[in-house]
Amino acid sequence: MSILAWKNLLHDRVRLIVTLTGIVFALVLITIQFGMFLGFLETAANIVDNNSADLWISAPGIPHVNGGSPIQESKRWKALQVPGVTRTANFAIFFVNWKLPNGAFETCQIAGFDLDSGMGGPWNLVAGRVEDLRGEDTVIIDDLYKTKLGVHNIGETLEINGKRARIVGFTHGIRSFTTAPYVFTSFKNAQNYIPMREHETIFILLRTAPGANLPAIKTRLLATIPGIEIFTHDEILLRTRNYWVFGTGAGTTTLMGAILGLLVGIVVVAQTIYAATIDHLKEFGTLKAMGATNGQIYQVIILQSALAAVMGYVLGISVALAIVRSTADTDLLIKLPWPIALGIFGLTLFMCMSASLLSIRKATTIDPAMVFRG
Amino acid sequence: MQPLVSVSHLVKEYGSGANRFRALNDVSLDIHAGQILVLMGPSGSGKTTLISVLGGILSATSGSVRVDGREIVGMPESQRPALRRDLFGFIFQGFNLFPALTAEENVAIMCKLKHVPQPDRAAANLLESVGLADKRNAYPADLSGGQKQRVAIARALAGQPRILLADEPTAALDSVSGRKVLEILSGLARQDNRAVIIVTHDPRVLEYCDRIVEIEDGRISSDELRRPIPPSPGDIA
Repeated sequence: MSILAWKNLLHDRVRLIVTLTGIVFALVLITIQFGMFLGFLETAANIVDNNSADLWISAPGIPHVNGGSPIQESKRWKALQVPGVTRTANFAIFFVNWKLPNGAFETCQIAGFDLDSGMGGPWNLVAGRVEDLRGEDTVIIDDLYKTKLGVHNIGETLEINGKRARIVGFTHGIRSFTTAPYVFTSFKNAQNYIPMREHETIFILLRTAPGANLPAIKTRLLATIPGIEIFTHDEILLRTRNYWVFGTGAGTTTLMGAILGLLVGIVVVAQTIYAATIDHLKEFGTLKAMGATNGQIYQVIILQSALAAVMGYVLGISVALAIVRSTADTDLLIKLPWPIALGIFGLTLFMCMSASLLSIRKATTIDPAMVFRG
Repeated sequence: MQPLVSVSHLVKEYGSGANRFRALNDVSLDIHAGQILVLMGPSGSGKTTLISVLGGILSATSGSVRVDGREIVGMPESQRPALRRDLFGFIFQGFNLFPALTAEENVAIMCKLKHVPQPDRAAANLLESVGLADKRNAYPADLSGGQKQRVAIARALAGQPRILLADEPTAALDSVSGRKVLEILSGLARQDNRAVIIVTHDPRVLEYCDRIVEIEDGRISSDELRRPIPPSPGDIA
């Protein structure tokens, strides 16, 4: 029976192209929409994700990591006295104005970090050294934003909030969810660019002893230092992602896009597979009249849809990968990690088989006497 | 002499209540191995319903149909595919070949369905027996109407069924192809001691048949035996 499934699929080239086009379209839609959502999740909180701090101290009630407000730096010393805390560092993220060569301004986000601890520093450095940020007025930006920010080489100078800044390095692939790219600099340099008073910081990052009980340390810190909020790495990550995903139109739109992509994809695949099966209804009637059991007819239909799923997946994931690669050097991040690619294969099989199950009912309830009606 | 098919007081009704329609009304008929029986009658008379019931495709409302000693009226639906597979070969007016399969694959798929050993080889032999050895790799779209019907006959012969049911097998064929098909069917009945039941409007069929049964309004209106019932091998012994 497998030969019938295989040849039914391949024999009519036009039908095959229509079937595969439907599956590929659905797969690319689902993969790209979902990849954009994953990219959104990553870029929305990559500054947290790539930060090695165990605990974050901030002003109370911050909506997300990019929305902090100044707190007294002296809290850092109090935090150091809490048992289990081994290191503290200042960290600041703040929106600033970047002056372009043509005199216009772009909004950026300064990420000022403690060079000694390295917590909050850049990653994926492709040119220059982090140590170069020890120099006065030095910054590192991502090479994806060179054109947007009007700089192209190390050594170029520009203005941030009216203060001089010099490029000493480039990272690759550190995207910002907002339209404001990250500009890494030392915390000391950041104090020049951010309207913050002396002895103020936006975050205090803490590193704790290996195996330390973080909830217990949090409780002790809250008891010791008034007027703060403390997050674990996962807590601030979640708050930031929740804010951007559920608290903004952009996040909701991306999420809805992913969900709609999934729904549209399922409908397209269902219709495509259903139509491909119904096309062979008379043949299934003939098989049934000649003595095939319903089980044997199921076998043909399911195998046919599984083959279509595999062929559609190979093509669809190839197209999706090409799209993902084509956006690698843009500020749009589409993520396609292999577990997701594998999951989409499972989803494709599931969608195709489910759709074929709909048509199975039609095929197995055929009146076999239809074969005598010409 | 035991008939291969024995139909007794067969009734088949469609619909229910006020819409109930009786397609077969008290039909009784014995069909013997080696016999070519032609079912004739106007459209809507019940011919196709009768061969559908005989072939275990439709279930009867009442009466009895014994095929090769097995009662099929009241047989559970789950047992019918095996009955159709084991006892019958079907030949359709529209050929009903699988367009995606070659002539040989069309026959081989039935051989596989009927668990014939070496199905590909059996399919090639069956095609040879209907004079289509050179067309084994041709697809139905590349065959003439007569060739398609011969492939359909070869397919119906897979597993050596005792009974062949043919619905208008010559309706779509020219006179030469039609005669060729009828010669094959007639040879199959006589040489292999099969019952061949043909539903037709085609008068060309009459010269090849042993018996003509006419149906009108679901009843047998005439039953003409043109040649004596051939003795079965058991009777000769």
